[in-house]
Amino acid sequence: MKKILLSLAAALMLSQAAAIPATAQEPQPGGTLRLKWGTLDTTDFHRHTGTISLPHPFAETLTSISKDGSPKGLLAESWTVSEDALTYTFKIRQGVKFHNGRTMTAADVRANFERIRDNVEAGWLTTAMEQVEGFETPDDATFIVKLKAPFAPFINLIAEAWILAPESPGWDDNISHPIGTGPFTFDSWTPQLVLKGAKFADYWMEGKPYLDAVEFDVREIADSSLALRAGDYDVASIPLNKVETLEKEGFAIDFQGGTSWDFISFNNRNPRPPFDNVRIREAVAWAVDRSEFVNIMNGEYGTPGNQPVGESNFFFDAALAADDPHNHADVERAKQIIAEEGINPADYKLYMISTPGSRSGPLLSQVLRQLGFGVDMKEFDDLGYQRALSEYDWDIYPGGSGARNDIFLRYVRLMSDGPNPGLWGGIQDPELDALINKAISTPDLNASRDFYLQAWKRVMDKYYTFSLGQKPSAYAISPKVHDFTVGFNNSAHRVDGGLAFTWIEK
Amino acid sequence: MSPHLRRLLASIGLDVLRSLGIALGIVVFTFFVIRMIPGDVVDVRGLEGSLTYSQQSAMREDLGLNKAWLQQFLDWSGMILSGDLGQSARYSIPIVDLLATVLPSTILLGTTALAIGLVLGIALPTLACLYPRSVFVTLVEAITIWSITVPTFSIGITCLIVFAVWLQWIPAIGNFVVPALILAVDTAGTLAKGLYEDMKETQRAEFIRAARAKGLSRTGIVLRHVLPNALTVTIALIGLMLAGVFTGAITMEVVFGLAGLGTMTLQAIQGRDYAVVQAIIIWLGFAVILANLVTDIVRKLVDPRLRNV
Amino acid sequence: MSVDASPRTMSPGHPGLSPLTKLAVAILAVALFIALAGPFLATHDPLMFSADMNEGPSAEHLLGTDDAGQDVYSRLLIGTGLSLLYGASAALVALGVGALAALLALAFGRPTEIVLFGLVDLIRALPGILFALACIIAFEPGVGSVILALGISFAPNFALITRAAFLHQMAQPYTAAARMLGAGRTRVALVHVLPNIAGALVTQFAIILPRCIVSESVLSFLGLGVSPELPTWGRMIAGATPYLEEAPHAALAPIIALSLVTFAFAIVGNEVRQRFNISRRSVVL
Repeated sequence: MKKILLSLAAALMLSQAAAIPATAQEPQPGGTLRLKWGTLDTTDFHRHTGTISLPHPFAETLTSISKDGSPKGLLAESWTVSEDALTYTFKIRQGVKFHNGRTMTAADVRANFERIRDNVEAGWLTTAMEQVEGFETPDDATFIVKLKAPFAPFINLIAEAWILAPESPGWDDNISHPIGTGPFTFDSWTPQLVLKGAKFADYWMEGKPYLDAVEFDVREIADSSLALRAGDYDVASIPLNKVETLEKEGFAIDFQGGTSWDFISFNNRNPRPPFDNVRIREAVAWAVDRSEFVNIMNGEYGTPGNQPVGESNFFFDAALAADDPHNHADVERAKQIIAEEGINPADYKLYMISTPGSRSGPLLSQVLRQLGFGVDMKEFDDLGYQRALSEYDWDIYPGGSGARNDIFLRYVRLMSDGPNPGLWGGIQDPELDALINKAISTPDLNASRDFYLQAWKRVMDKYYTFSLGQKPSAYAISPKVHDFTVGFNNSAHRVDGGLAFTWIEK
Repeated sequence: MSPHLRRLLASIGLDVLRSLGIALGIVVFTFFVIRMIPGDVVDVRGLEGSLTYSQQSAMREDLGLNKAWLQQFLDWSGMILSGDLGQSARYSIPIVDLLATVLPSTILLGTTALAIGLVLGIALPTLACLYPRSVFVTLVEAITIWSITVPTFSIGITCLIVFAVWLQWIPAIGNFVVPALILAVDTAGTLAKGLYEDMKETQRAEFIRAARAKGLSRTGIVLRHVLPNALTVTIALIGLMLAGVFTGAITMEVVFGLAGLGTMTLQAIQGRDYAVVQAIIIWLGFAVILANLVTDIVRKLVDPRLRNV
Repeated sequence: MSVDASPRTMSPGHPGLSPLTKLAVAILAVALFIALAGPFLATHDPLMFSADMNEGPSAEHLLGTDDAGQDVYSRLLIGTGLSLLYGASAALVALGVGALAALLALAFGRPTEIVLFGLVDLIRALPGILFALACIIAFEPGVGSVILALGISFAPNFALITRAAFLHQMAQPYTAAARMLGAGRTRVALVHVLPNIAGALVTQFAIILPRCIVSESVLSFLGLGVSPELPTWGRMIAGATPYLEEAPHAALAPIIALSLVTFAFAIVGNEVRQRFNISRRSVVL
C-alpha cells in the first residue's frame, strides 16, 4: 500500500513538474484571440454615438488614452499647443499604411476630420467639431487644427476621431467597410453576433501584432463568466460580482483606469414637492449611507465618493472628499430636517425610475421608506428609462454612467443644453454653465481644475445630484493569454498596450 | 379529379385563405402597435448620451420617423411589395442579411426539438396503451409531470452549469444539443399528456368495443383505430408548435447563447427597430400559413371521419 | 364528444379522491395558507438588504440569503401570495375578457363573431412572451400592465372555449325548447347556457392559472416583470439564477414552490374536468 502511495505521489509530482511552463517570456506569434467585449452599432465609425470600444483594433486615432487617463500619441508622433490654446499642431507618424496598402498622410487625417465635421450630423464628436475654426496641412507630416476658442477636452476627445482611408466604400454616405490603419483588418461583422479581423501584415509597429486573428463576440449577454470558464472566450468583460469566482479558477483580472459613476439624481427640470425644497434633498443625502450602498452594489471593488471622478484622476480633490459631512449617514438628522421643514413624508408617494438589474433602486427605496415616504418604483427597459427621464415627470432616479475619456464629458451633461441631461434631472443653471465653460476654455490645466471644482461645489450645494461612488469595470483574462492589458476606457488597443502586444501561449 | 378530392382541396384552400387573412392582420396590427411603444430607435442610438435634443430631431427626420403613421405604412408596404425587406435602422444593414444569420440556427433548433418531441410524445402514449402495465405508463406520467413542473429556463441554466462549466462536455455558447433536448422533453410532455388521455378515452368508445368483438388484434386496434381518432386535438397543438419553431425559443436562446430569431425579435423590440420587427412578423405570417396548411392536411388525412368532409 | 344529454349530471357515483389528488389539494391549501398568513410568519423584512450575501441556510436565515442579502424564507412567504395573486388576477382578466367578449360576439350574430374570432386567432398567432413584452413596454411598466398583458394573451383561450361550449349547448334539446317557448337568443345565452358552461370555464381557469404564474416568471427573467421590489417567484428565480453556483438555495426555493403549485393545479384541474365530465376535446390548451 505504501509503495503504491509513494509511486502515486511521485507520478503526481512528475506530472506537475512537466506542467510548469518554461518561463520564456518571448512572445509566440500565432493563434486567434476570442473576446467578449462590448458591441458594435455601425460600420461607419464616424457615426458612432456611444459604443466606443470596438473600432479600436481596426482603426486608429491621433491619440490614445493610457491607463492613467493621459493621452499619448498613436497616429500622431507628437503635438504642440500654442500659448493661447487655439492652435494644435500634430506631427503625423510617417510610414503608416492603410489596410489597402496606401501610406497615410496628413491630408488623409484632414479628410477624416472634415468628414466628421461636415457629414456627420449627430455623432460622438459633433460638439467637439463645433469648436473648430479650420484645418491646415502645410505638408504630408503636419496637421494643424485651429479652434474658435480654447477647448481643453479636445486632445482627449479626438482619441475617438477614427482615421480611415477615404477609399473606404460608402465614404460619401455610410461607410460599409472601414479601411483603417490598425493591427487587424476589419473582415466581417454580423450584428449582434460576431466581429472578425485578421492580422495586418504591414502594421506600423515593428513585429506586431503577434496574434493571427481576433474574434469579438458582440452579443449583448449579461454574464460571460460561464462561457469564460467553459473556455469559449479568452478575454471577457465581467460583472464585478464574478471577479472572485474567476480569480479562483486562475483567471487574471484587470481593471479599467476609468471608473463608472453611481449617483442619485433629483428632478431639476420640473422640481416638485417635496424635492422642490433643497433641504429635503439634503435630508435624503443624510439618510443615504454611501459606504453601505457601494458595498452592497459593488462589493469590495466599489469606492464611495462624492465627486464624478475617482481618486486617481487629476481632477479629483482629496480635501473636498475628506471634508464632506455626508461621508457618514445620519438618519436621525434627516428625519429632523424633514420635520423642521414641516413636511409630513406620509403625504408623498415618490416616483422613482429604475432600470433592470439596478441594485441602488431597491436600496434607495428602502431608505426613503425609512424616512416615512411612500415609494412608487417603476422599472423600465434600457430605452424606456431614458425616455421617462426626459419627460421630467419623476421625483428621484438612482443612476450610473460609464467611464469617459475626458472629464468634460461628465460635466457637459450637467449643462442647460447638454446631451441627454435626463440622468441628472435636466439641470438648467446659467451660473453652472458659465463655470463649466470657463473650465473648458482656459488653457491652464490647474485653472481648469479649479473651475470644475467650483462647478461641482455648486452642484453639491444645490443637491442637483448626489454622488454615491465609483466602480471600475473588470476584465478576466485566461492564463494562457499574455501581455494583454486594459487601458483607461474600454478600448482594446492603445499605443502602450492592448491587442497589438498580446500573444497566446501554445 | 374525384368530387371527394375536389372538396378536400376546396376546404384546404379556404383554410389557407383564412390563414392569409390572419397573416395580413398580424402584419398591420404589429405595424401600428410597435409605434405605440414609447421611444424610438433614435433614443437607442443616443443611449450613451451624446445626442442633444436637436440632433435627435435631425436623426428622426432622416429616418422618416416623424411622418404620419399611415404615410409610413404606405411607404413601407410599397417597399415590401417590391421585394425589399428594408434596412435595420439601428445597424444600417439589409434585414435579409440579418435574417439569414439567425434563421438557420433557429430552424435547426426548432425542428430538432419538435422532431424528437413528436416521436417521444406520440410513441410513449401509444406504447403505454399497448402495454398498460408496463414502464411506459410510468414514463408518460413522469414526462408529463416534468413538463408541467419544471420551468425551462431554470433547467436550462442548471444544465449549462453542469455540462459546460463543471464537466466541460459542451461549450457554454452555441450548443444546440442540450437546448434541443430540453425543449424536446418539454414538447413531448405537453403532447403526451393530452394524447394519452385522449387515447384512453377513445378506447372506451363504442366502436372500439365493436372492433374488439370483431377479433382485431390489440396492436391493430390501437394503431389503426385508437390513435388516429385520438390525434385530432393533438394535431391542432402540433400546428401551434410548428409555427413556434419558426419564431424561436427565446429563453433557450438567451440561456445557451444561441443567435436566434427569438433574441433578435426581443432586441428589435427593445431597440425599437421597427423595420426588423415588421420583417420578422411577415416571416411569422408565412409560418402561420404554412403551419396551418400542414396541420390541416395531416388532420384530414389522419382522421377518418373528416375525410369525407 | 362524450357529454351527456342532460348537462348538469356529474359522473355516476362519487368515487373518493385518489391519493395524488389529495396531495395536490393539500399543496394548494398550504399555498393558500402561506399566501394569507405569510406576512405574519416572516422573520425578516423581505426587502431589507444586508451585507450577508449568498449565505446558506442558518438559524437566523431559515433558507439563507440571496445575492442582495435578503432573507429567502421571508421573501418566499410574501412571494407566494404575490405570485398567486398576480397569476390569479391575470387568469381572471383572461377569463372575464375572453368569455365576455365571446358571449357578446355570439349574441350579436355572425359578423361580430367572425371579426372577434379573427382577432382571437391573431393574438394566438403572435408569439406569446413577445406579445406580452410589447404590451408591457407599451403600457407603463408595473403590476397592472403585467396582469393586463398576460390577461390579453390568454383571453383567446377562454373565448374559444366559451364559443365551443356555447355552440354545444345551443345544439342541445333544452335550448331549442326554451327558444320555442319564446325566449330570445340573448336570454337563452345568459340564463340557460351560461351556468352550464361554467364547468368548462373553471377547468380552463385551472389550466391557465399556473401558466400565468410561469409566464410572469419568464417575464421577470427577461427583465420585464412587476416592480423589482416585489419578490414574486419569478423575480426571485430571475435574481438568483446568475448565482446558481454560489447560492443554489436562493433559486431552488422559488423553483420548488413554483413547480409544486403548478403540479398541484394540473392535477386538480384534471380532476375537475373529469368531475364535470368534460371531454378533453372541449379544452383549449
